[in-house]
Amino acid sequence: MKKALITGITGQDGSYLAELLLEKGYEVHGVRRRSASFNTARISHLYDASSPKASRFKLHYGDLTDSTNLTRLIAEIKPDEIYNLGAQSHVAVSFEEPEYTADCDGLGTMRLLEAIRLLGLARKTRIYQASTSELFGKVQEVPQSETTPFYPRSPYAAAKMYAYWITVNYRESYGIFASNGILFNHESPLRGEEFVTRKITRAMGRILLGEQRCLYMGNMNALRDWGHARDYVRAMWLILQQKKAEDFVIATGRQYSVRKFIELAAKELGITIGWKGKGVKETGFVKAVNPAPGVAAEVKLKKGDVIVRVDRKFYRPAEVETLLGNPAKSRRVLGWKPEVKFEQLVAEMAASDLKLAQSEHCLRKAGYGAVKNC
Amino acid sequence: MKKALITGNRGQDGAYLSQLLLAKGYEVYGADRSGDSGLWRLRELGIESRVKETYLDILELTNIMDVLEKVRPDEIYNFAAQSFVKMSFEQPILTAEINAVGVTRMLEAIRKVRPAARFYQASTAELFGSTGSAQRNETTAFHPKSPYGVSKLYAHWITVNYREAYGLHASCGIMFNHESPLRGEEFVTRKITMAAARIKKGLQDKVHVGNLAARRDWGYAKEYVEAIWRMLQQPKADDYILATGRSRTVREFAEAAFSAAGFKLEWKGKGLAEKGVDARTGRTLVEVSKEFYRPAEVDLLVGDAAKARAKLGWTPSTKFKDLVALMVEADMKRLEIK
Repeated sequence: MKKALITGITGQDGSYLAELLLEKGYEVHGVRRRSASFNTARISHLYDASSPKASRFKLHYGDLTDSTNLTRLIAEIKPDEIYNLGAQSHVAVSFEEPEYTADCDGLGTMRLLEAIRLLGLARKTRIYQASTSELFGKVQEVPQSETTPFYPRSPYAAAKMYAYWITVNYRESYGIFASNGILFNHESPLRGEEFVTRKITRAMGRILLGEQRCLYMGNMNALRDWGHARDYVRAMWLILQQKKAEDFVIATGRQYSVRKFIELAAKELGITIGWKGKGVKETGFVKAVNPAPGVAAEVKLKKGDVIVRVDRKFYRPAEVETLLGNPAKSRRVLGWKPEVKFEQLVAEMAASDLKLAQSEHCLRKAGYGAVKNC
Repeated sequence: MKKALITGNRGQDGAYLSQLLLAKGYEVYGADRSGDSGLWRLRELGIESRVKETYLDILELTNIMDVLEKVRPDEIYNFAAQSFVKMSFEQPILTAEINAVGVTRMLEAIRKVRPAARFYQASTAELFGSTGSAQRNETTAFHPKSPYGVSKLYAHWITVNYREAYGLHASCGIMFNHESPLRGEEFVTRKITMAAARIKKGLQDKVHVGNLAARRDWGYAKEYVEAIWRMLQQPKADDYILATGRSRTVREFAEAAFSAAGFKLEWKGKGLAEKGVDARTGRTLVEVSKEFYRPAEVDLLVGDAAKARAKLGWTPSTKFKDLVALMVEADMKRLEIK
């Protein structure tokens, strides 16, 4: 039975990847940080004793900033594959916490590579490094491929660039099977709520049901290449099944604006959005509301309500205006192709967050006393 | 009077820059870790008593902030680094802590305490690694080949990022190899010139080196610090390549060094068995040793300093042979004094 070690197991990608690997018969070991606030919501269904796969799923406490811990875990588990998905993964936060971001995202990757080398596992253990389209930052060509020069625009991107190159370096210097997946944005209902896509779908559900008045946004003109995380974790696995370790761009090859994402998320809930004004003055207002019959009775939102505004605080100190990936190599070499289209992705997220909003709405109305009925 | 803070002040570049800035009337603060290693460089330049010493460890943010508050420098030059490529394979994490995260700490401290100060970051030709034979300019893509190169690449981009994100006057000089009599003894150039001098004086038998075929673009450090200073005098911060535009092999460097010491080197054998022998006596002076090879070699580095020439009016003038001779002479003189 193959063994995999996943850092960042509690995140969106960790959860989807664990599911995929368990399905493929792997024994999956996940590394989670100890946290005072509960952080295993995305994977609780996997280690629940009632799950038939629970016996093959193990969680360990660990931290990418702790060499001793990582080295001991790798020594004990001797994994066939390591997926390094752990990171301080929020770009805006990296401007607030640049040093921690470098330590965790940059040096953390090296600590894993060093452990593999030190433990004599260079011929056994393959490692996948979660690289990111943020490396391209101020893009040097369109679309971006494996040969496009990097231009990071945030402490997050600089740290991830460190991780990218140290991965290449350990491959070139020591022959470790170490590969980068340069993943463009990938979303899902499991995306963290602090990320813009999830923030939007969460807000739309809540706004529809009157649980929130307005969605505050940063740069709505930013263009991104968005795919579904479930498709992307399949690419991660494929990258480690190749004969040769190489780096791959994983993307859809299509690009949409943040504004378009908002429009589609609203549309899924029956809200048609119109736009007024420019820059920080821009607002999104309700042009029409036609909610689904199931929720219509609870909807008080009306035509003309302003539901989107811009708040400067969500702008980044240095913006990344456009990202568009060229997935030709991953299609050719890995035979990988995303299955979920942009519209489906937004619809799935919006529908999932409407459900969440419904239960919030129900709980609030019932004075939080009617858990069973909500 | 302008104030400059130089980290890594007791290293080769820090020492020459201190000398230059003192001559220009700056008040120079040398920021180094405690201990007296490297003080000999300031002593040799005769500036030991004129540089104000302040203790700074780039691993400690509060220490950096404290120094910036006390000194209130107008210009900050960051030469502090674990600067030896081979060592970075042995101590990759420490190298990253100092060379990469250390720069983030510097920039954060500047942003908080002295946002108007101008900042120089010592980037390096090692960012390029070696791909193809073309000259590298400011737009060539990077491909670092060592933990040292990767750490310096992070430092390069975090500097660019703080310039773009916060408007700091922060510039990177992508310096190709620059040598001098003050070069550290662990670097191949100085190792060779010192060996040539010691062999001449009968104090050493021979010298062991790594890849003789490695080509580098070697300039004179004393001239490079002039360009560094000019970078911080520009109205706009920017990144520049500093290089001579010519490359020589380690083999050629050894020939020039031994020639300056009065030997004529001849080469025999190939690869690890290659030897440099004294043409007159047949005695072996240079041997190749595997231990000095890097896990991933950088074969060739040549820089194109056209931008520095055009915008900074900077052109290095010391010829390769003269630079090598200068280094050998200094090493000879040091032995005589001892």
